[in-house]
Amino acid sequence: MSYGNQFKAHTQLKLSPFFERTSRLNESQEWRRWSGYLAATNYELTHENEYFAIRTKAALLDITPLYKYIIEGPDAQRFLDRMVTRNIGICRVGQVMYTPWCDEDGKQIDDGTIQRLSDQKFRITSAEPNLEWIEYNAAGMDLSIWDDSYTTAALAIQGPNSRTILNAVTSDSLNNLNFFWMMETRFGDIPISISRTGYTGDLGYEIWMDPKDALSVWDLLMDMGKPFGITPTGLQALDMARIEAGLILLDVDYISSRHAIVESRKSSPYELGLGWAVKMKKKDFIGKKALEAELSRGSKWEFVGIEIQWAELENHYRNVGLAPGLPGTAWRTSTPLYKGNKQVGYATSGCWSPILKRYIALAHVKSDYAQSGSTLDFELKVEHYRKVTPAIVVKTPFFDPERKRSCPQ
Amino acid sequence: MNQFDIIVVGGGVNSLVTASILGQSEKKVLLLEAQNQIGGLASTTEFAPGYKCNLVNDVVKWIDPRVLKKLDIESHGMELFSPDVVRIALDTDDQHILFHRNADQTTASISTHSEKDAKAWKEFTIYIGNLTHFLEKLYELTPPKLPDIGLKEALSMRTMLTPVRKHGIRGLVDFLRVVPMMMPELMNEWFESELLRGAISAAGIHHITLGPFATATGYNLLHQHVYSDSVFHNAHFIKGGTGNLAETLLKSAKSNGVEIRTSSTVQSIDVANGICNGVTLEDGERITTTKVISGLDPTHTFIKLVGPAELNPSFFTQVRNIKYRGSVSRIHFALNSLPEIKGVSQDQMGTVFSVSPSIKYIERAADAAKYGCIADDPYVEFTIPSIINSNFAPKGKHVLSATVQYTPYHLRNQTWSEELKVRLKNNVVHVLENYIPGFSTQIKSSAVFSPMDLEDKFGLTEGNLNHGEMTLNQFFFMRPTISSAQYKSPIENLYLCGPSTHPGGGLHGANGFNAAREILKL
Amino acid sequence: MSAVKNYDAIIIGGGHNGLTAAAYLARAGKKVLVLERRYVLGGAAVTEEVFPGFKFSICSYVVSLLKPNIIRELMLPKFGLELLPLESTFTPLENDYLLRTTDEDQTYREISRHSPRDAETYMRFGPLMGQIGMAVRPILETIAPNAIRPSLADLGAMKKLLNHFKTLSDEQFEYLTKLMTMSSADFLDEWFEFEPLKATMSASGIIGTFMGPRSPGSAYVMLHHYMGDIDGAFRAWGFQRGGTGAVSMAIACSAKHFGADILTEAPVEKVIVKNGRAMGVVLENGDEYQADKVISGLDPKLSFLKMVDESDLPSDFVTDIKNFRIRGSSGKVNLALDGLPNFISLPGDGPHLRGAISISPSYDYLERAYDDAKYGNFSQEPYMDIIFPSVIDPGMAPPNKHVMSCFVQYAPYDIKGGWNDQKREDFGDAVVNAIARFAPNIKDIILHRQVLSPADLEATFGLTEGNIFHGELTLQQLFVLRPAAKWADYRTPIKNYYQCGSGTHPGGGITGSPGEMSAKKILRNW
Repeated sequence: MSYGNQFKAHTQLKLSPFFERTSRLNESQEWRRWSGYLAATNYELTHENEYFAIRTKAALLDITPLYKYIIEGPDAQRFLDRMVTRNIGICRVGQVMYTPWCDEDGKQIDDGTIQRLSDQKFRITSAEPNLEWIEYNAAGMDLSIWDDSYTTAALAIQGPNSRTILNAVTSDSLNNLNFFWMMETRFGDIPISISRTGYTGDLGYEIWMDPKDALSVWDLLMDMGKPFGITPTGLQALDMARIEAGLILLDVDYISSRHAIVESRKSSPYELGLGWAVKMKKKDFIGKKALEAELSRGSKWEFVGIEIQWAELENHYRNVGLAPGLPGTAWRTSTPLYKGNKQVGYATSGCWSPILKRYIALAHVKSDYAQSGSTLDFELKVEHYRKVTPAIVVKTPFFDPERKRSCPQ
Repeated sequence: MNQFDIIVVGGGVNSLVTASILGQSEKKVLLLEAQNQIGGLASTTEFAPGYKCNLVNDVVKWIDPRVLKKLDIESHGMELFSPDVVRIALDTDDQHILFHRNADQTTASISTHSEKDAKAWKEFTIYIGNLTHFLEKLYELTPPKLPDIGLKEALSMRTMLTPVRKHGIRGLVDFLRVVPMMMPELMNEWFESELLRGAISAAGIHHITLGPFATATGYNLLHQHVYSDSVFHNAHFIKGGTGNLAETLLKSAKSNGVEIRTSSTVQSIDVANGICNGVTLEDGERITTTKVISGLDPTHTFIKLVGPAELNPSFFTQVRNIKYRGSVSRIHFALNSLPEIKGVSQDQMGTVFSVSPSIKYIERAADAAKYGCIADDPYVEFTIPSIINSNFAPKGKHVLSATVQYTPYHLRNQTWSEELKVRLKNNVVHVLENYIPGFSTQIKSSAVFSPMDLEDKFGLTEGNLNHGEMTLNQFFFMRPTISSAQYKSPIENLYLCGPSTHPGGGLHGANGFNAAREILKL
Repeated sequence: MSAVKNYDAIIIGGGHNGLTAAAYLARAGKKVLVLERRYVLGGAAVTEEVFPGFKFSICSYVVSLLKPNIIRELMLPKFGLELLPLESTFTPLENDYLLRTTDEDQTYREISRHSPRDAETYMRFGPLMGQIGMAVRPILETIAPNAIRPSLADLGAMKKLLNHFKTLSDEQFEYLTKLMTMSSADFLDEWFEFEPLKATMSASGIIGTFMGPRSPGSAYVMLHHYMGDIDGAFRAWGFQRGGTGAVSMAIACSAKHFGADILTEAPVEKVIVKNGRAMGVVLENGDEYQADKVISGLDPKLSFLKMVDESDLPSDFVTDIKNFRIRGSSGKVNLALDGLPNFISLPGDGPHLRGAISISPSYDYLERAYDDAKYGNFSQEPYMDIIFPSVIDPGMAPPNKHVMSCFVQYAPYDIKGGWNDQKREDFGDAVVNAIARFAPNIKDIILHRQVLSPADLEATFGLTEGNIFHGELTLQQLFVLRPAAKWADYRTPIKNYYQCGSGTHPGGGITGSPGEMSAKKILRNW
């Protein structure tokens, strides 16, 4: 029975422009904090339908809490090239690049995407506020920086049906929009930009808009997406999808070097599996010297995917008379990894992948033990007792569908 | 093949010392000075037709004896004039305190104000003299790289403690106690006469922006008395003008084979991938070299000439956080006649005068700077250099040069304008009138150099004469920054030798000496 | 004929440090007597019902870093220690306000309203200060060695400290050096841009000192105050239920539990010294007590210039103590209110009244307040740190009434013309006027007002010149130099005479640390 309350959120947290809709849709009333925003953990009572929406239909996520900055001016490209590890010089207008950035010791500060909006204008997204770092390193350069976090709202639509839904709403077809490119288009008379990016490792898009259009955009998508199974999706499902995709999360899988209090908490891009994004051939950038040294001497740590072996896991539970206990959601507690009696690493996040039917995790492992195929011992608790069970180092992403990158023929 | 092994940027005292020592060691050295004459703050120049002045410093407090010896300065013809009366603290009732080279004579002068103070005077001068011995040893050292100092470096620094043999641990404790003190604290331990307290405190605030109530003015006071041999307010004039110090060093440098180019402004210090490889001049000429040594301040060197994009972020932070905040102005007056100061005889006029009637007087002047204003009643220190150097003014005429504190570089709700400089001059004239009746009628013309002018003329960031405040947070291993205190910058092959480095400001050449030693070590 | 009684140790002064020392000594099985001059224990950490129904922590008003090991070892929670958190810092401004709370997101949002850059920096600044606090703690927890003639144990302690410093990162070491030497304003300017934020943070660098935020040395005092935030996890920085007097009472109960005797209204006249050895004390009423050790919790001036004869001390030590800088600079105004003040910029009740309210709109405001004092006047527009104890702990005032505690700076001890009733009231008026600028209704709701000038603090609590820290926390008065070289390890030139007050290392605040370390030092060689 309902008491017919007129629910109205009273909160000290920030509310996204979509809150008017999301708050009404959130049947579980489970919320998390995301960058000081109230963000839905899951909309339904369990996250399962939302997870499968990402992988089989289309999930709609409010990603407004991302930090966004606009860098514009004659030196904008030079500045970004100095700040981040990837080569922004080859990023063309309309292209998007994922990149980490580091401090001068080559330790990662944050990671995000850079959109080249025009020759001299870029938007950079980040997990943590980076305005100070950006402004700081722009000293002496001819450019302007503004915090776009509150002036641009964003949604992600992710999943195999996402293109179909967008094509039904947009004035231009998205069929030719390639992976990590973006385009300007309209929803009716609402100007928006769409990038083919996401945090799920699936076919998906992110939509950038003026906050005043937020509700109209939401409604249009929900309306037109209904026949294609569009599902408002919370962070719980997203967390599982990003682990399957092998994508790292700041403050979970690594700590920003700006906030790591001790040296051992810091990681370089090489130690986070992002060596591919460090471009040594380009001119000096922040951290280059240290990264060069690391490259030549080899990294101490590697960031890998591990798969916890099913048979042994099941045995542990069988021994106490239980069916295998699996985490229903993604976990984020650091878990030790051993080789023999020696701890050689730790897993930082993991989940049971419902689509792959595998128990997977992301882990920091000492380089000597990190080669693909090597077996480590993963710590788990079975009925209050600590056990170890084998886990094998595997390549990420765990899940990598063809549709993520392809365009319709 | 580079034409030069080393390029020294800037032609001030320290740059000349470094260049000359390196030249002595068979290095091919080029020194580049932006002005049409070398000398930097040790320049003598004509400021009005027929009238010359020492642009910034009328006296030197001390010259590093190692420099005098190494470069055999005396053989190059520099002569010091060390007056018997080193300073006169002016009193409105003409009971001036005359600081003599001989402490006993000073005692007599003090006794008109306080018998008690007079009795304590000699002990005080010895006390301060002893404490400076600790600084003298410290000043000969290259600061360590902290916190991860090795045993070898730590041992090499033990000379720092040699004064303990003479003055005991108690001496060291007193040193550690006095360094962080503020002037009123130190004075409360010794003296009661307001005039004397003010006059001594003037040494604690010499050329800095803080007032006497600021912690660690004790350090600045000691800094002014290094190698003073317990002569309080010790001062030496250089015959022919302070510029002769630079001229002498120039001769020394030339004789050591250093090539000197004046009117050569460095446009940029060139760095590629963190390695310095030369300089580019304003006219576009590019000169490559293996080492560049900058006598300019760190902000000028790294931010203007190297550029922030070549600095790693933490070093950039450090440089950006260096405190400059110049607040010293210089005013040169061309006078029709010799000023008369009641109670001071003609033969005592070749000295430094200070208007420092009390600690609070100076502090109030400093308060103005705190709020971004120029002081209405400034602290004024002046000399009449034409008494020592007859060539400074036409016969019978004179020059009075005043050092004025506090006149902050950073003003609030106003900017440095001609109008403000006139106001400043009037404030000074007004103050001096109290001691030199009719002073204003003697003035033929004048030239005012505000901190802004000093920045423009000498490239001194924020017009700070010490290339960075002389405070404990910018002392020893923190000078100019923690990662560049060994005369070596984080940029390979780029070095520093100016007053921004240990042991700080003044025309003593110790920085240049230490820097040259570090470079030759390599 | 006066009675003569024997004790192992006598502690002069029942302040929180004296009581802490007593409790530790008693806990070690010593027969201990504490002698307190006043009718009530606690020294400056005392709660009194000044007006019927209104209770005030009349002097010290918040508990900063009461050391956790003291809390455990003396079992203080069992004896009534109950610390409530102070939730926020509220800085009212002319047409706006700055609010910082214990919630990171809320604080971020509040600061970024004024400066997004500062909001970001703030999140890095706190942990960094915490780290540096961690770096300093070993110093604070080391008995200051004898610098003139170090013992073997001293050398060992020094070596341990040096090794500790070598473990610091370059960045930590740099900031530590800066904190030891800079002004709080200069230090904060390197981090932040929003002036009210900087001014409010810098204000913790002037509390209890005779310095302005732009005076070099104030950064260290700021760090000293930051220590209270380090153990944020268990919230050592807070408000004691029943006022700070209840902290003292808890320590006193602990001391009694361990067997210490405590006498109030027992002012000590003199320490009995024979042949350079302390033998006991004589009270003002002529009573004599003998003891093996006499420990003074008073400030260094009283301990050495009043309690003993100068002739019993070496002359350079007397000089050092005379030169020990102990200038009072603060006053306290306690108000009984008929309601709560209504701040123009943030009207009504709210979390901002459950924390500290800082009247510190700008550096200049604080500097001008300091300038007034520098030249011998109380501040016309003073800096204030205000709390409403009755909002946090309703037992402090009758229902719907409130008590307001205003720590006020600057009020120089050496005020021109001396402190008198008129001046005290003028000072009280200046305080009320300064509050009224931001909360005009204050004038209508004051029921009673208690104004304490530094002269009053001296007269009431025996704090020389009204200095709340028993001597300023300046570089030349820290560690091995507090209160004087050679005698920073709680011993004194008089055998069996010891010190345990805030005038010793590591200094002032309700930390219990000097009392604890003094007792431990004494026990070590007993």
